Amino acid sequence: MRITSWFGRKKYAHTSKPKPYVASPIAASEPISDQLEHNLLHLGQLFTDTPDLNIRHIPLRDTGELAALVYIEGLTDKNAINNNVINPLLHRADGSSLSSITVGRITKLRDWAPITSAILKGSSILFIDGQPDAFMLGTEGWPQRAIEDPQMETSLKGAHQGFVESIEQNIALIRRYLPHRELKIRNHQVGRRGDSRVGVMYLADVAHPEVLREMEERIDRIDIDVIINTGELVELIEDNPFSPFPQFMLTERPDTAASQVAQGRIVVLVDRSPSVIVGPSTFTSFFQSVDDYSTRWSIATFIRLLRFFAFFVAISLPAFYIAITSYHFELIPVKLLLTIGEYRGSVPFSPFIEAVFMEITLEMMREAGVRLPAPVGQTVGIVGGIVIGQAIVQAGLISNIMVIVVAFTAIASFILPNYDLVAGVRLIRFLMMIAASLFGLFGIVVSLMVLTGHLIALESLGTPFGSPFAPLRLSEWKDTFVRAPLWKMTKRPHSTRAVQSTRQGDNQPEGDGK
Amino acid sequence: MKKYALNDITLLQYIMINFGMAVSFGFIELPAMMATEAGTDGWIPILIGGFVTMFASLVVIRLMQRFPEGTFFDMLAHYLGKWAGKTAALAFALYFLLYAYDGLIYTIRLIKGRLLPETPAFLIALMLMLPTYTIARNGLRIVGRYAEFAVMISLWIPFVYLYTLENLHPLYLLPVFKEGWKPILSAVPGTFFYYLGFVSSVILYPFLKHKKHASAGLVIANGITVLSYLFITLVCYMFLSPDEAKLIHQPSIYVLKSIELSFIEQVEGLFIAFYAFIFSLSWIPPLYFTVFCTSWMMGKQEHRPHLRVIVILFAVSTYFYLPTYDELENISQLLGVSGIAVEYLFPGIMLVFLWIYVRLRKGRNWT
Repeated sequence: MRITSWFGRKKYAHTSKPKPYVASPIAASEPISDQLEHNLLHLGQLFTDTPDLNIRHIPLRDTGELAALVYIEGLTDKNAINNNVINPLLHRADGSSLSSITVGRITKLRDWAPITSAILKGSSILFIDGQPDAFMLGTEGWPQRAIEDPQMETSLKGAHQGFVESIEQNIALIRRYLPHRELKIRNHQVGRRGDSRVGVMYLADVAHPEVLREMEERIDRIDIDVIINTGELVELIEDNPFSPFPQFMLTERPDTAASQVAQGRIVVLVDRSPSVIVGPSTFTSFFQSVDDYSTRWSIATFIRLLRFFAFFVAISLPAFYIAITSYHFELIPVKLLLTIGEYRGSVPFSPFIEAVFMEITLEMMREAGVRLPAPVGQTVGIVGGIVIGQAIVQAGLISNIMVIVVAFTAIASFILPNYDLVAGVRLIRFLMMIAASLFGLFGIVVSLMVLTGHLIALESLGTPFGSPFAPLRLSEWKDTFVRAPLWKMTKRPHSTRAVQSTRQGDNQPEGDGK
Repeated sequence: MKKYALNDITLLQYIMINFGMAVSFGFIELPAMMATEAGTDGWIPILIGGFVTMFASLVVIRLMQRFPEGTFFDMLAHYLGKWAGKTAALAFALYFLLYAYDGLIYTIRLIKGRLLPETPAFLIALMLMLPTYTIARNGLRIVGRYAEFAVMISLWIPFVYLYTLENLHPLYLLPVFKEGWKPILSAVPGTFFYYLGFVSSVILYPFLKHKKHASAGLVIANGITVLSYLFITLVCYMFLSPDEAKLIHQPSIYVLKSIELSFIEQVEGLFIAFYAFIFSLSWIPPLYFTVFCTSWMMGKQEHRPHLRVIVILFAVSTYFYLPTYDELENISQLLGVSGIAVEYLFPGIMLVFLWIYVRLRKGRNWT
């Protein structure tokens, strides 16, 4: 039954048209009346069961007309409404009543559709008896988190401000880094019910117009109920959703976002979400961290190399362990072989079972650590350290070497700076382990071949994901394995397809080297 | 008019495809083969063969310059009609198919023989088809990037051979021309087989981004091939005594047995496994060319259905029949003969033929 319905799903989707999302039978797209009573009546019909809707009747001081202020409590700034709207309307009589309102944004609205949506988004609406227009007052103010240090991408020397849940603030945070006229933002609305504001931010004279158009088209194509988080948007606009690798970088750091925009990439901000999308991304951009640019370049280069090494370790070390202990023990020196054999001798499982067991334990511990509240989270570490580390070896279930391999793999995956990349790596590690258990080294190499084949074919917004390795551009290796001195990076990366390729002039400090 | 602009490849990718196709298993096989034919002078025929190949590849480019915006088949269709193009496409499809099959079977044999003696061959074939399909289905550009990448990450190979340096005896090479020119010259045709692959330019040429560098590209590709062959034969001949060199099977791998690192005792196992990247270039690009030819023949843009059929056929066929080393030798011989015909002779003949044909037709037009 279930299988048949699963098969039938596609057909069903074709035959029945999606129902339009009508919120209520009362048509929302008609003009308001010039009589206050009618308007309030209509409003009552539109907003049934909305106890947080507040309607305040105000007799205007200057003309004596009746007015009504409508807003939703909790989405509006109480102070602004009391002091800047109600107070002047009630008490001040100089000039017209409208000019006495002291809020920043006042817009005339005539149709019900924008009025209802404005109310729901935190504006307050002023209806005045006898006038065919309503006035939208910008009084938004909802519970907000203060700007904090980014949680996922901590840095030593970078700024300690992370994005928050409001798009206006996030835009402001980026704009602080790039106060330039050419920094443009295009607004899109996504989600029929959620109606999220999605801002596409780019440098108009640098970003490639085709890439920009591609991004905007993909965003506009989305027809969805609601988008809660940026991750959902990413999945809807990705080039290859079946890939284990992220094709867009998500960052919660304004400085990273600003630096990417300056390189010619496009940043997509989603309202209510504290991370932004950076695209087009390349594989190597997931190995960059904002600290790389503020530490000495030789040290940053070393760390970069370490990260790439860690990537391969995290992907293939358990697989190599399996391959070597079950197929190619002639590869390793006799002394090491004896050591391994000594520990392996007492273990009842095959290397593959051993490795899978330990890796799954590790993944569970990691997942447990993420979801648990901080005080409980510490116990996970203790349990993991004692049980998995000591007891399991003493009990003879797992060999010492395996514990070392798993620990090394875990550390290697921790130093990769991007969470999404690490998630992909974790998945691939298991596939590699299976391949290694079936085919030994050959299995590892074939999986590496498939992996490279996949990575070089992958695209992000139509630009090659594997750049600058495949297609090879040696001159752009300055910001990949190595982090060349900043004054060497005079060109923007080709992978951003920036229109204006020169990034800086000759900034090399005067000295012996020059 | 620019029918193939969307899938263009860079010069480096062009070089690497050609280099990878040629070098793949020649690197393993050539030293022993030259040793039996020309003794320790075996490196000289490689050099001569390389120069002949360079000349032959320039002929191919010359041919393609007649019709720079299309493949060879487009050219034939343009001059001689649709069916001429289709016939040529079929012939080339078969040739590349044979090429790919030879490379694949060789790899399977080597891996089965040296790494996984217990594993059934069809499983190895099945595994090898995974990257093949992943890469070839995405079109020429991805094949080019893969070739580039595969060569790049195999750059460690020459450095591994540096470890054999202490065991090399340059005196083994002397005297040069031990037995005169005769064995050297008679060994030259044998090298041609290991240089095959440059005829892929009949398909690659229109995809190339900077066509004026095409000849230079082929010469470079050929130059690197010659250099790597020279390198490996010289290392082998200096490592093994002249008599040993004739006896030892696949000396390139044997030489590695002398290397012992502190963390790896036998480098050759690792070498064979990772050399699969280079091996894969002996069948992934040809397979792509095969399906390119067949889909061109059928007048279709989409090459994936054909690719799927061929990949599945390859995998399934190894379940029922896997050539032994001797049969593989026969296949290689067939490939060698058809290769000399298709790559060395045919382009020259076509060049002359088209030249005369165009002359004649022009002449007719005037009267």
